Formats: sequence, structure tokens, C-alpha cells
Amino acid sequence: MDSIAHPTQRQFNPYSDNGGTILAIAGADFTVIAGDTRQSEGYSIQTRYAPKVFPLTDRAVLAVNGFAADGNMFVKKVKQRLEWYRHAHSKDMPLRAIARLIQTMLYARRFFPFYVYNILGGIEEDGTGAVYSFDPVGSYEREACRAAGAAQSLVQPFLDNQIYFNNQQPAPGTSHPVHLPLPTILSIVIDSFTGATERHIEVGDGLEMYVVLAKGRGVQGLEDVRGVQELSVTEEGERIFVIRRDLKKD
Amino acid sequence: MWGSQAGFGSLVKGVPSFVIPSVPDPAAFLRLHTDDHADPSCKIKIQHGTTTLAFRYQGGVIVAVDSRATAGSYVASGTVKKVIEINPYLLGTMAGGAADCQYWETYLGVHCRLHELRNRERISVSAASKYLSNLVYSYKGMGLSMGTMICGWDKTGPALFYVDSDGTRLKGNIFSVGSGSTFAYGVLDQEYRWDLPDEEAQELARRSIYAAGHRDAFSGNTCNLYQVKEDGWQFIGNYDITKLHYDGPGEAPGNGYGYDIRVEGQTSTDLPATAGQA
Amino acid sequence: MDHFPANWGRPRNDAIDLYATHLLHPRPNNRAKDAFADSVQRTQQPIVTGTSVLAIKFKDGIMMAADNLASYGSLARFKDVQRLQAFGDYTVIGASGDMSDFQFIQRLLDDIAVAEIAAQDGHDLGPVEIHEYMSQVMYGRRSKLDPLWNSLIIGGFKDGKRFLSYVDLLGTTYTASTIATGYGGYIAQPLLRKAVEGYEDVLTAEQARKILEDSMRVLFYRDARSLNKYQLATITAAGVQISDSLHLETSWDFAEGIRGYGAQTQ
Repeated sequence: MDSIAHPTQRQFNPYSDNGGTILAIAGADFTVIAGDTRQSEGYSIQTRYAPKVFPLTDRAVLAVNGFAADGNMFVKKVKQRLEWYRHAHSKDMPLRAIARLIQTMLYARRFFPFYVYNILGGIEEDGTGAVYSFDPVGSYEREACRAAGAAQSLVQPFLDNQIYFNNQQPAPGTSHPVHLPLPTILSIVIDSFTGATERHIEVGDGLEMYVVLAKGRGVQGLEDVRGVQELSVTEEGERIFVIRRDLKKD
Repeated sequence: MWGSQAGFGSLVKGVPSFVIPSVPDPAAFLRLHTDDHADPSCKIKIQHGTTTLAFRYQGGVIVAVDSRATAGSYVASGTVKKVIEINPYLLGTMAGGAADCQYWETYLGVHCRLHELRNRERISVSAASKYLSNLVYSYKGMGLSMGTMICGWDKTGPALFYVDSDGTRLKGNIFSVGSGSTFAYGVLDQEYRWDLPDEEAQELARRSIYAAGHRDAFSGNTCNLYQVKEDGWQFIGNYDITKLHYDGPGEAPGNGYGYDIRVEGQTSTDLPATAGQA
Repeated sequence: MDHFPANWGRPRNDAIDLYATHLLHPRPNNRAKDAFADSVQRTQQPIVTGTSVLAIKFKDGIMMAADNLASYGSLARFKDVQRLQAFGDYTVIGASGDMSDFQFIQRLLDDIAVAEIAAQDGHDLGPVEIHEYMSQVMYGRRSKLDPLWNSLIIGGFKDGKRFLSYVDLLGTTYTASTIATGYGGYIAQPLLRKAVEGYEDVLTAEQARKILEDSMRVLFYRDARSLNKYQLATITAAGVQISDSLHLETSWDFAEGIRGYGAQTQ
């Protein structure tokens, strides 16, 4: 057998896994992007509040999960590229362009990957809610919903059932709705995370949900939500809100 | 600097550049952290597992793929678009590393467009596929993984090439690539002929992907079907493989590809007549 | 191409060629060779090491503690090492891990401190800036696969705000109201959280000192790489104050009653 392998030595491992879970769901004219705020390494909780979800523009929010140092660095670099774009074109980069940008940025590290699972959510130029999910080296797809991270395998089947109505039979004479209303989706997100907190040790402490509303859409569905906080600058254009909730800390 | 280059200075250089870890053997480094076959607990799981097929016949090229992506034994996605629309006349299929295929076939699309602008005519499928194979060959040994079929219609008529990350480039009439390819070939080889009518060609492709989805654990969910004709490709449809099993591709139930209906009432187990379910 | 189903999409391994499908013989490596390449050393493991650093928030700022020991493996080699270092007027860095790498970090920070003083621009570096700088340095070095083998705690007080953060050899960062590195993460952190979380704004300096002292004592009882000689750093609006070495009062009476721990032979 031919071998071109080098002699191996015990080597520094530049990666770590900091746990946590992220999730995004697109509605007809809004998108919800959420993540828990626990950061852990092994069995130790490092902090109970380390954000994993970041607003990028007035209509785009990025959630990152995996190795926290890579994630923070990646978000920093994406934000820098978006600022350059603003300086060059005096407008924000559209969502689908941000998605392609993220692909090329991840793929530039094909041989030394960022250990980061990205989910990009926001409003497309045509006013529809959109979610893009990425693998660590940049393959991506637009989807209606996606969970990633430690509790991905717990949350995704729940979403498949509640959002896509997989394995559900509609009542006779009725059909499943194509798009769910905002309050329903917020409940599903909260339930996903309380459930994941119960069953996964790396999920918990706090929950941050970002809601991006399409241009001209009213705030219906958000009025009765406790502690909702608006982040957007103007009332024209898309609007971003954040909702925070406690999760169990054990 | 960013002003004159619209903030994309890194792209103006043309050739993409990659960060390489500073270790004696970068490919071994990459394998150490991304090969979940050698080490199931490795963190960075690159999606894989596939059945793709394409064949040339009198009516053009038929392209059919499944839509499952797996990471270890986890079904990471059931809605993957494994046919990459390079341009209105060229299709590429995705097997192996999803990102490798998406990125390099997009990059190929850029260069096909440049070819059009420089030469006032569309690039031939042969030239496009050779561009891709030369490109991935230059990264040989670095850990790229892609097995793709470049399908199109050019001056020579329908054209089909297989290109993979070893640098292999083959011209042919029938190809199937991926973990489910053996199952697809089984069906494909049996029924394939050059003078298939369009309808039958599409049915053959669907039936082949169904067979792979049924028997290969790493393939499944849905089948995406495309056809390339003289005026470019068109999307034929998306078919749920479970539905193909019980009901078949049409609207009428009871025409499933599964053999349950063919043994019903005839064996010792005497399967009761169950209604097809979605 | 490896067409075996389960191998699909895996990174190729050209070093192993089970079925001799590899057409090319290994090619000679013609890259330029650095004559010293083989003798360049990277820190692949720590040599002279410091153990835990503890830090908490309290009413008036930040308080940190670290012992004075630098170990050489299991040998207690240097017993008067200062592992809490002030930078500028607002910040203290506490280091565990490799002490030579920490000395290199001190040199880096001294250099930027000099540049900052020379600039005379009316700005000076606070804990937030030093944290950002250190996180970039540490992440940059891990990305070169040549890490600085430390876990650092950065505590500070500037413009009326407390700041407490962590940076390690991987470039991982976070902020929290209690932080402990090394063994302290397992032994002291639960004690610190119980005493501090929710009381950050009411704890007095004396209470904070007591919490840290008690935690250092527990660490000394159970961490074999620790010492009963430690320092405290207090960072408040009044500035940075690092104590002289303090001695931990310990009591080993409890050992009398434990078989195998004390003097009894049977």
C-alpha cells in the first residue's frame, strides 16, 4: 500500500463546541430567528448570557452556533462586509445577496473550516419572510424553517410536525394552512426551547427571539407579547423586534 | 480601495484564495476534524449521501436526483436541491460535498458567462465540463469531494459528462452517482433505450430514483426531475418518494411502484387490502 | 473516486489507497524548504503553569484572586509569582496556564501601553479595549495553530462601569458576574455563583473578599497544584489595587477523623 502520510504527532485542537441551539421560522410576511443564551464547554456552563443571534441590517438577522470563537469572528467579518457594501452602494445588502456572501465567506475557509452552523433569517426583496440555512463550509438552501446546534435533532422533528404538518392528517374537508400566524409561531418557538431545555443539558438559561416584519406590515400578533422591544430606527421599511424569555437554569 | 471595487476587493482578484491551516499535512487536518466516518464524534459534519442520475436519449437529457442530505445517521435535510442550475442551458448535479458542488458549479456558471461574452457564443458542454474538471484537479489531494454530471445541449446536440474530484471526466450516455447509484443503475440499465419517448424517459428516471430511495438508507425523501431540450432545461416536477411507493406519480391512487399491490392476496401472509396512504 | 456507498461525500484520503486506484505516484515535494523549519517550536503543551484565577463582581467593581505558584508539572517550582497584573489605570489581567506565554502577553500589552501614552490623544485603554485586543490576539494565534496557552480573566472599572470577561487559548470569550479558570471552574465556580449571582450590586468589598478567600481556601484543600499564598486585586472607581501576598489560614483538624487521610495507620 502506498502512503504519502506524514508522521503524526499529538496536535493542538483549534476547535471546541460551545453548545446551545438556534432556530428560525419564516412566515408569509415576517420571520422569527431565535437562540438560547447559554454558553458551555463540556459539562461547565461558562456564562448564562452569550448572544448567538445578531441583527445585521434592518431586514436580516443571523444566528450562529457551534464554536463560539469562530462564530463571533464570523459575525464580525460579515458585519464588516455589509458595512463596506453600505459605503459603496448607500443601501443595505438584500437578504439573498447576504446569503450568497455568507456562502463565499464560509467556502474561503474550505480547508480550515469555521466550525459554525449559520441560519440567516429576514425579509426578501419581494416582501416575503425567508430562512437560509448553511453547513460549516457554505452549502445553503432557502427553507421555511430550520433548527441547528446541540438540540437540532430534538427540535427539528417537532418543527417538521408543527410547521410542515408532517405525519398529520387534516380534519375531513379541511387542509393545513400554508403559512402560520405570528402568535402561533412564537408559541412554537418558545415550546421548542423549553422542550430542548428539559431534554438537553447544553440548552437553557435564556431565550432571545428576533422578529423581522415586512415593510408595511402592522405589528399585529406582537401587541400582546410581554416585554417586546423594538430595535428598528424607522417605522417605514422593515422592522425588527426582540423578545427575551427566561429558560430553566439547571 | 473599497470604493473603487465596490467593497469586493477580494473578488476582483478573480481567482478565489483559500485559508490553509499551517500544519505539515493540511488534508490530514481537514480529515481529522470533518471525517465522521473515521470518527463519528467529529464536530464538523459535512453533509453527504445521494442518488443522482442523468441519461442522454433522442429527446435530450433527463436529470433526476433525490433530495436527502445525511450527517452520520441523522437526516440533516429532506429538501436539498441537488440539481444546480448553472445557466439556462446547463445543469450540474450534486453528489459528495454539498458545498463543493454548489460553490464550484456556481463558479463554473460565472466562467461560462465570461466565455459567452468573449466568444459571442455559448460554451459547449464539453468545454464547460473540462473547465470544471481541470479546476478540481488543481485541488487534488486537498480533500474536495464531488461527483457531478454536467448536462446540457450544445451544437453537438444533447451532451452529458461525468466529472469528479479526482479529476476524472467521462463522456457517456448514462451515469448515476452516489450511494444509491447501484440501485438506480439496476432499473436504468434494464429499461434504457435511445428512442425512449419523453414520457417514458421521465418515468424511467423517476422509477430509478424511487428504487434508490427505497433501498438506500442515505437516499430518499423526494425526487427532482429535469429535462434538457434544444431550447434549454426545464423543471418537470418534484415527487415524494413515499407517495411514489404507494400511489405512483399521477394523481390517481393505487398505481404505486411498491410491490405490495402486486402480492396482495397472493401470498401465504395474504396482506389485507390497505388503502394507500400519503 | 471511492464509490463505496458509506464513503460518499467524506473528505478524500489520498494517503490510503486500498484498491490501488490512485494513478499518480506520490510526487516529490518541491516547495521551498526553510532550513530551520524543523526547529521552530510552538507551544503544544504548557510547561510552567499557573492554576486557577477567580473573579467576581461586587457593589463597587471587580475583585480577583490568584495564588502565587507556578508549577513545573507536579513540582511546585516558583512560589512567588504574580499572576494578577495591572494594565493601565483601569484593568487587571489574571492568567492561568503557561507562564512564559503570559510573560509574552505582558510584553505585548506593555508595548501598546507605551504607544498609547506616546499618542497623548486624550484616550486611554479601558478593560473593554484590552479584552477586545486580547481576544483578537488569542484567536489569531489559535488560527495559526500556535496558541498562547492561557486562560485569562480581564477585570476592570472605567467610566462608572464594571467589566469582567474571559479569554482563552482557543479565542473563546464571554462575560459573566463570576468567572473561574482551571480547577476553579469546577470547584470554586459553584460557590462563587451561589454567593454572587443576584447580589452583584449589594456585596461590599469586605463580603467580596471573604467570598474569594473562602473559595481560595477550598481550592487549596483540593487542588494539588495550588498554594496557600495568594493575592487579591480590587478594581473600583478609585483605580486598581493589588494586595501584597496573603496567607490562607487553614485547618486540617477534619483529617483526624478520616481513615487514610490523617496519621492513623489502621
